Amino acid sequence: MALAGEDFCIVAADTRQSDGYHINCRYAPKAHQLSDKTVIGTSGFYADGLNFVKKIKQRMEWYFHQHDKTMSTTAIAQLISIMLYQKRFFPYYVFCVIGGIDENGKGCVYSYDSVGNAERVQYQAAGSGNELLQPFLDSQIGLKNRSNENETLNLTEEMAIKIVKDAFSSVTERDIHTGDCVEIYIIRKDGVECQKYPLKRD
Amino acid sequence: MFLTRSEYDRGVNTFSPEGRLFQVEYAIEAIKMGSTAIGIQTSEGVILAVEKRITSTLLEPSSIEKILEIDSHVGCAMSGLNADARTMIDHARVQAQNHTFVYDEPIKIESITQAICDLALRFGEGAQGEESIMSRPFGVALLIAGCDENGPQLFHADPSGTFTKYQAKAIGSGSEGAQTELQENYHKSLTLKEAETLSLKVLKQVMEEKVNSVNVQLCSVTPNEGFHIYSEEEVNEIINTL
Repeated sequence: MALAGEDFCIVAADTRQSDGYHINCRYAPKAHQLSDKTVIGTSGFYADGLNFVKKIKQRMEWYFHQHDKTMSTTAIAQLISIMLYQKRFFPYYVFCVIGGIDENGKGCVYSYDSVGNAERVQYQAAGSGNELLQPFLDSQIGLKNRSNENETLNLTEEMAIKIVKDAFSSVTERDIHTGDCVEIYIIRKDGVECQKYPLKRD
Repeated sequence: MFLTRSEYDRGVNTFSPEGRLFQVEYAIEAIKMGSTAIGIQTSEGVILAVEKRITSTLLEPSSIEKILEIDSHVGCAMSGLNADARTMIDHARVQAQNHTFVYDEPIKIESITQAICDLALRFGEGAQGEESIMSRPFGVALLIAGCDENGPQLFHADPSGTFTKYQAKAIGSGSEGAQTELQENYHKSLTLKEAETLSLKVLKQVMEEKVNSVNVQLCSVTPNEGFHIYSEEEVNEIINTL
């Protein structure tokens, strides 16, 4: 999942890699840092995800050598959309979200389907737990369906991290594919920090 | 003159014993016969000015186009074999559009200049699957002006594929005189308005005919408005202040 604050952004992913009732690996990172302003979270077919991230990193390096600058988050966002659509008829089986800081220093999140449809959003859940996670985010961050319509949210980094932790522990409770550990990437204008928290291993 | 160059100036891909590629050097000579073009970079934007040679009274001056748009934030002036420039500018336009399509941002001026120069040495037989597009070097030099995140910039690209960044540069037949004139009059705090006047003043000195709104073409590239070609009225206004 990913969520954007005013001047920060959070991308978080659990590290369980499973196949039906079977757990293949308890520590298989799905979130990857692309630059000091952008982090990507992948879900779906793990091997495709790894390969896709590898390809993005390669394209970013080419871009760096060609244009003598690091790709901005918006540039990466557009590139990902195009890379996914280029495999329209044999897609990468990945559902990704990227989070980062845009050119104006604001937090941003982009979400994709497997063939490259992209949307800039404030928060997004993807993967096996997304049916459980998205409504929770709708309620806590999107403030959807509240009785008090004038309610506003001033999302601070501490609040956001708390919501993310709560979200993951709740999802772990009900979704068998989520668990073991959650990696939370916090992207600020001066860099990226990664925090790890244990989740239930059952 | 040609005694020392005999034999080695035939093939486009053969070095002379002194280590020179004569065909490329001749191509650079071709530019010195072309019409004069001037570029001036200021902190507010870049000005390009070119001379149009009206060789006949029956000629339609608007059909001579020596300043072209590459993208909304990049313009280009040429001198030499204008037809050759079409290939390069077509290529540049595709590159610029492709960059916007893939990365959702305007291409940098240095990158688009590099893309143009990549073409310059693709003459001769073409190696390693790269399709050869020309049998000889391009006979045209370009002044590429644009604005990106690094501000207004001016680049000069020549047939050897070399590109250099300039604050003010003249190419074409009157380039020597014009370059000295620019050197004397250029300063870093030049405004866009002053650059307009300076460019026409310099053109006026190196052109054989009297400068008027028909035989010169002027464009500006600014951070806010992007590429803009001056209308005859706008050119006239500047000429009147000379």
